[in-house]
Amino acid sequence: MHVVDVPSYLDDKGIDTLAQGLGGWPPATRLLFDARATKWASPFGFTALLTAGQALQELGAEPSRLAVPDSDDVRSYWAKAGFFRHAADLFELHGKVPRRAADESSDVLIPITPIRAADDVVTLVNGLGERVAELLSENLNLEARATPRFGMSLSEACQNVVEHAGTGGWVAVHAYNWRKRLGRRVVVIAVSDAGVGFRASLDAAEARKYGDRWSDAAALEAALIHNISRFRDPGRGQGLAMIKRYLGAWQGKISIRSGTARLAIVPAWDDDIPLAEGLAFFPGSQLQIVIPEQGAK
Amino acid sequence: MIQTIRLNDVLRETTQRPLRDLVTRPTGAAIRGRIQETILATGFPTTRLDFSGVGFLDFSCADEIVAKLLRDSAADHYLVLWDLDETQAEAIDHVLERQDLAVVAVPRGGSPLLLGAASAELRLAFRAVLEGGPGDAGRLASRLAWSLERAADALQLLALRRLVVAAHGTFSPLPLR
Repeated sequence: MHVVDVPSYLDDKGIDTLAQGLGGWPPATRLLFDARATKWASPFGFTALLTAGQALQELGAEPSRLAVPDSDDVRSYWAKAGFFRHAADLFELHGKVPRRAADESSDVLIPITPIRAADDVVTLVNGLGERVAELLSENLNLEARATPRFGMSLSEACQNVVEHAGTGGWVAVHAYNWRKRLGRRVVVIAVSDAGVGFRASLDAAEARKYGDRWSDAAALEAALIHNISRFRDPGRGQGLAMIKRYLGAWQGKISIRSGTARLAIVPAWDDDIPLAEGLAFFPGSQLQIVIPEQGAK
Repeated sequence: MIQTIRLNDVLRETTQRPLRDLVTRPTGAAIRGRIQETILATGFPTTRLDFSGVGFLDFSCADEIVAKLLRDSAADHYLVLWDLDETQAEAIDHVLERQDLAVVAVPRGGSPLLLGAASAELRLAFRAVLEGGPGDAGRLASRLAWSLERAADALQLLALRRLVVAAHGTFSPLPLR
């Protein structure tokens, strides 16, 4: 059994550490994900951790073990986010798992939700309702007309899983105060799948054009910067383009990790690097959208 | 002769669920199929797609419904979008622009306009036909102080894109009601 330490802060950067801890892919032996010391997880962290469990399950590996956080507060938040109810199907859970159900509250806008088919996206978006509009206004000071744009962005982000991954994925939307990087409240959309990844998805359409430069990073660049889709239909490849347009207006950030690379469109308030290559492999694709609070209330 | 198809009704009939939001490609494709069946069955030359009661319209659905209807429909069939909100119009405009398509739309509480790929000159000619009523190239040239050739080119292009109706050298606005 190989022990993978889950970082104290399981966010988009924490997943890089988690990926290193996997010790190569596919793992040679059964894994134990040790989250006992984990203090916090972002939607990205939650959905990516589930993706790891799902990818291992789809490989036919013996169910991985997951040692749940020691802290009552942390466990309670993980339950509120809807993590444990899905993790129970993917991991052998060890430790005290709270019985509380997933919750929709002011900080968990959308609990972790599986995306397996287009109908899941229809149900998700049609269920947003007035409550999410109010929360977007309260959390981000976004005007009412931003709500449809948020819904459309969420829809397009989730449809990428259905259209391109070849397997299911997960979505979660949380709001929190991002003191460390921004000093303002943010709403974060995370979508993660255990699928083929951007490189394999675009391989047939794009690899020849790039030649030796074809890589996870090149595939991300083709999709996120140049709006390339694996489908030849001229109507394709517009979802990410419109998400970028909205985020430009909101000073938002989008980043996608796939395989061994991460590409981000970085707004002025963040000091992240646009492109990270040579990361430890992590299965599937992970997309994160960060929308910051607009101006002063 | 114009027929109105309420998208909200088609959405609910197609999905058998009380939905408001037009999202995902399969939903859009199913709705487009219903609309095409209706167009074929009724034979009206103009179809008005009524967006009242519709919530979100994502880009995938805008592409599947509007762009593909424009691409696939017969050369003598006209499409008008009715009662769109700002973000629905924005999504359709973006989707059509990328595919060099255009459509006549009437935004909620607004006057008719073109969404999609249309130059400023084409929009000016469209507005002039809309406000001035049926006429030939000479009338448009006179109204806009353009050369006859320039007016004729603009009208031909509007007609080719099915943004005005052309018959025997006269160009008319699409029927909206």
